[in-house]
Amino acid sequence: MPSGLKYLLTRLAGSLVTMLIGTMVVFFVMKLAPGDPALVVLGDFATPESIAAFNAKHGLDAPLMVQYLNWLGGLARLDFGDSLSVSSGEDIAALLMFRLPNTLFIGIYAILIAVLLSLVLGTLAAVNRGNAIDTGATSLAVLGVSMPDFWFGYMLILGLSIGLGLFPSYGFAPPSESVLGALHSGFLPALAIAAPMAAVFTRTLRTALIENLDREHVTVAKALGHPPRFRFLHHVFRNSVIPFIVVIGLQVRYLLGGVVIIERIFGINGVGSLMVEAAFARDYFVVQACAVVFLAIVLAVNYIVDLICIMLDPRRAR
Amino acid sequence: MKLTALMQNRTALAGSAITALFIVVIIVGPMISPWGVDKHDFLSVLKPPSWEHPFGTDSLGRDVLTRALAGARVSLMISASGVLAAMALGITTGLFAGYLGGWFDAVVMRVVDLFFAFPAFVLALFLMVALGYGVVNVALAIMLVYMPIFARLTRNTTEVVRDDAYVQAARIMGQGTPRILFREILPNISAPIMVQASIAVAFGIIIESGLSFIGLGVQPPTPSLGVIMADGQEYFRRAPWVLTMTGLTVTTALLALNLLGDGLRDLADPRLKARDS
Repeated sequence: MPSGLKYLLTRLAGSLVTMLIGTMVVFFVMKLAPGDPALVVLGDFATPESIAAFNAKHGLDAPLMVQYLNWLGGLARLDFGDSLSVSSGEDIAALLMFRLPNTLFIGIYAILIAVLLSLVLGTLAAVNRGNAIDTGATSLAVLGVSMPDFWFGYMLILGLSIGLGLFPSYGFAPPSESVLGALHSGFLPALAIAAPMAAVFTRTLRTALIENLDREHVTVAKALGHPPRFRFLHHVFRNSVIPFIVVIGLQVRYLLGGVVIIERIFGINGVGSLMVEAAFARDYFVVQACAVVFLAIVLAVNYIVDLICIMLDPRRAR
Repeated sequence: MKLTALMQNRTALAGSAITALFIVVIIVGPMISPWGVDKHDFLSVLKPPSWEHPFGTDSLGRDVLTRALAGARVSLMISASGVLAAMALGITTGLFAGYLGGWFDAVVMRVVDLFFAFPAFVLALFLMVALGYGVVNVALAIMLVYMPIFARLTRNTTEVVRDDAYVQAARIMGQGTPRILFREILPNISAPIMVQASIAVAFGIIIESGLSFIGLGVQPPTPSLGVIMADGQEYFRRAPWVLTMTGLTVTTALLALNLLGDGLRDLADPRLKARDS
């Protein structure tokens, strides 16, 4: 078996084990939650008979381990069970299928904005190392990681929506209805989530570019008379791409955290806002399902990032 | 890390100066303010910023500046205590894992990997649902978010210095493992941990204010930065200053802590200089 394939299979197995342990943690920690699901649905004055009937219907009268295995078996078939209270009786898988595209759209939109911003700022900073442009770009980056994203979201609403009227301050046209509408109504939320990421990307790219600018092969290329633009793109930038991509993968954890609050502020029907609504409604089944979905997204993205990295640099697989 | 070195690095100097100033202001500010943190004044409701009320007043006529400072004190306390607890547990596990290796290391790292796969804020939110809301549980959530980060960092740096001469010397002199870990190794790997700590406190404040902002963290009437911003969000169109100015307070605190972290990083590893290069 080629070493690349072997590496990817080992990595895949590792991700699946993490996923499995993750589902265990989610399930058993959730069991610590205050309040009985039956009481959440039936109210505080439910009779013991109706509680018993409810528990039997949802399999909550079985031993914990059996409950877990049933739930896990359901997950494997993409069957998350039914919602308790946030959207009573509805199939959770259907809820997620309806909302996941919106979350993915906003997430990818935010990453694209962050990558574009950081490519410009990071390159400008590295090329102008030490002068005013560099100071400006790095200061902007420190500011970027210092603003809570939801606050920045409100500042964008204040300036670009209430002030200039360029974008809607609330509501989101799903991409399934109109891609252009989604790009327009999703711009402010995506930008709010992108700001702290762009800051981290900028710093990473700047550091990587500066390290490569000083390396010997670049000096040799200069001595050989390669033009500056070619030298930068071919010898410096190409070698700086991998740390840049790795950091994109790492930042997905923070991105999804931002999505949760931002979706709620801008009224986007996504998995993040679903999780918050379910938290308020004490709909434990939906909260569990959302946590598992987020876990799966992070693991999947990190796997793809690994895939891209060993395609760019096969030495990493060894 | 010497104090003189700290004074010579502009970023570290600015960061520590603003952080120190900020801490003094949030302690002294609410004490000397002519307005109470919870003093309602229905004759001056939703007043825009003025000399009298530099950050304006909220829907109950309370002075937003006084509340933001008192809230910053609450938020900083929550974040710092969460991070300190995370450091105590994370560093200890990391030291043992890195020094002993073997199955203990393998188990610890698996658990750490799992934590790393959860989005930080989603993990915090999930814990709030499972544990219940309130000040202590927010700190607990911050601890659980940061513990694996400190554990991994400490473990990796410990592994590097594990066989250095001074550690071997201590071992030959017959020092016990805990003594070697905490007296010999820890002081030598403390620089990156301090960098991480200042950044962690900054991000802990974001977690606290985010959770409280959506109503799943600190609960009113306890004023935390997130609680005040959540309040300001309700009448944002009529009185944008409550949310804006409180958010600016958060940004100032975070800026100071991030600058401090950057400065400490420059001092610890001049090769990675983030600025001034």
